[in-house]
Amino acid sequence: MNPTDTPLIRCRDVRKSYRKGETLVTPIESLHLDVPRGEFLALMGPSGSGKSTLLNLMAGIDRPTSGVIEFDGQPIQDLSRGHLAAWRARHVGYIFQLYHLVPVLTAFENVELPLLLDPMPRRERRERVEAALALVGLAHRMHHFPRELSGGEEQRVAIARAIVANPPLLVADEPTGDLDRDAADSVLGLLRALSRDHRRTIVMVTHDPRAAAVADRVLHLEKGRLLEGAR
Amino acid sequence: MTPSVALRLLGLAGKQLSRHRVRTFLTLAGVGAGMFLFAVVESLQQALARATRLGANDLTLVVYRQNRFCPATSRLPIYYLDELRRIDGVREVIPILIAVNNCGASLDIVTFRGVPPDLLPRFAPDIALVSGSYEAWESTDDGALVGEHFAARRGLKAGDAFDAAGVRVRVVGLIRSPNPQDNQVAYVHLPFLQKATRRGLGEVTQFNVRVIDSGRLDAVARAIDDRFRSEPEPTQTHPEKAFFAEGARELVAMIDFTRWIGLGAALAVFGLVANAVLLIVRGRVRENAVLQTLGYPGRAVGFLVVGEGSLLGLGGGALGVGAALAFLGWNRFLFGSEGQTMAVLPETAVLVRGMGLALVLGAMAAAWPAWQAMRRPIVESLRT
Repeated sequence: MNPTDTPLIRCRDVRKSYRKGETLVTPIESLHLDVPRGEFLALMGPSGSGKSTLLNLMAGIDRPTSGVIEFDGQPIQDLSRGHLAAWRARHVGYIFQLYHLVPVLTAFENVELPLLLDPMPRRERRERVEAALALVGLAHRMHHFPRELSGGEEQRVAIARAIVANPPLLVADEPTGDLDRDAADSVLGLLRALSRDHRRTIVMVTHDPRAAAVADRVLHLEKGRLLEGAR
Repeated sequence: MTPSVALRLLGLAGKQLSRHRVRTFLTLAGVGAGMFLFAVVESLQQALARATRLGANDLTLVVYRQNRFCPATSRLPIYYLDELRRIDGVREVIPILIAVNNCGASLDIVTFRGVPPDLLPRFAPDIALVSGSYEAWESTDDGALVGEHFAARRGLKAGDAFDAAGVRVRVVGLIRSPNPQDNQVAYVHLPFLQKATRRGLGEVTQFNVRVIDSGRLDAVARAIDDRFRSEPEPTQTHPEKAFFAEGARELVAMIDFTRWIGLGAALAVFGLVANAVLLIVRGRVRENAVLQTLGYPGRAVGFLVVGEGSLLGLGGGALGVGAALAFLGWNRFLFGSEGQTMAVLPETAVLVRGMGLALVLGAMAAAWPAWQAMRRPIVESLRT
């Protein structure tokens, strides 16, 4: 098989369960999924269907109870905490619904955060941060603090932070869930451009059919199981 | 983690502190107050150690009247001078009449030492003249050579006149000496002080004896006391620093006690930084989870937390220790008891020790919150 034919993400018989008080909760059950390289995939489903849990498992911030998650052919579920952190730094950009920018840092400093662990020269770091902010259309706002930005601008800064280290995978958890229509359109346009023009693989969780409409493929989850959509 | 990455993370910790100004200011103020107290206590302990700890270069014995501890009650006949010079192991002897403005414990003690003018340079050749003239001192009856710490405390310079303990003198020079006691007294002519204090011309308070080598201090002291044991005025002889410890023992005991205050201040600093960092970490659970999502390993998050604690300790330490040393330098306190004096001065050793302790306390206080921040599951933290 040609290495480029290997799905970027492959989930096999993935199950996730945890205890909540006396109850055993299983948000993901026997899940099989392939995400090809360069695909923009939308995950939809009702609250509690397990879509955010699946996103977290693919992003390496949570571990499955059983099953295998492969990234580029390499299983990640058994990596140590330290190795998993290093893997996330190189391979994943995470976009949160509520942006989660560090409030005391400027837009520039927030975007710079993923690069601080990399021993690259200061000048290169600055160039990459400026390029990422320019890509999201916020080069002129780089010295502003999050409190001085609109919600849409904050989310675009968060996208710049997710892409600055050039990870092959972007995961977005309801990226338009807290935005008005115009700002949401702007963010979705940006994600679409990153997928189409920069060949990023994107997995996005959303409730919003308009958001899902920009994806290449839409999958529906219900009670921890996948129901493939028509698109 | 490479040094350059560690420096960047410290820079990030610094931004977190400098951009939460009120919280940081209040913590620094608290740490500074604790470290101020610690540095003052440490300076006292240093001064006490300098005044009482015998070293290899200590060659001076003090011959005092037996069972007397105050200069007002120690009276020895001056003819002991020739007898002392004849004792084996003695290199030099100087008779001294001491007059003080206060025999009890005091923070502003003035000590006059009356000595024969021709003997002073021989007995203490390492006394250096900072200003004025030695000849002027020899040629005037009421002239005083004033130790530089005493002069600075009183704002005295050559040409000034001052009076204390019923004695009025003119300052003809300022002196500096490696012996701390010399820097805190005013040297005047022995006959002048005998007349001014209405003590007999044949009487002094003590003899200071310089021995040939420090290994013979105790043997010479015993020989001196044996020599005068059957005289009407028997003597008690101690090395100079032991004499200070004996004469000012209440003062020594009190200063020794202050080490507990210093320990309490250090514990307060530890508690304050620990509390501040714990609150910081609790308020930043989601932020730390976001950093871990971005690929920060747990140890980097822990390093950021310990970095903030260390910077708080170091900043508060700089503030408190700096203020304490400035305070001591400005006030130039001179502790005295029974005619013995001890200057409390700002010292580099206290600065280094204080800053080091503040840094270590800050880092240690942040260790537990850092461990908590490192170990918390990311997903759980993102949900808070």
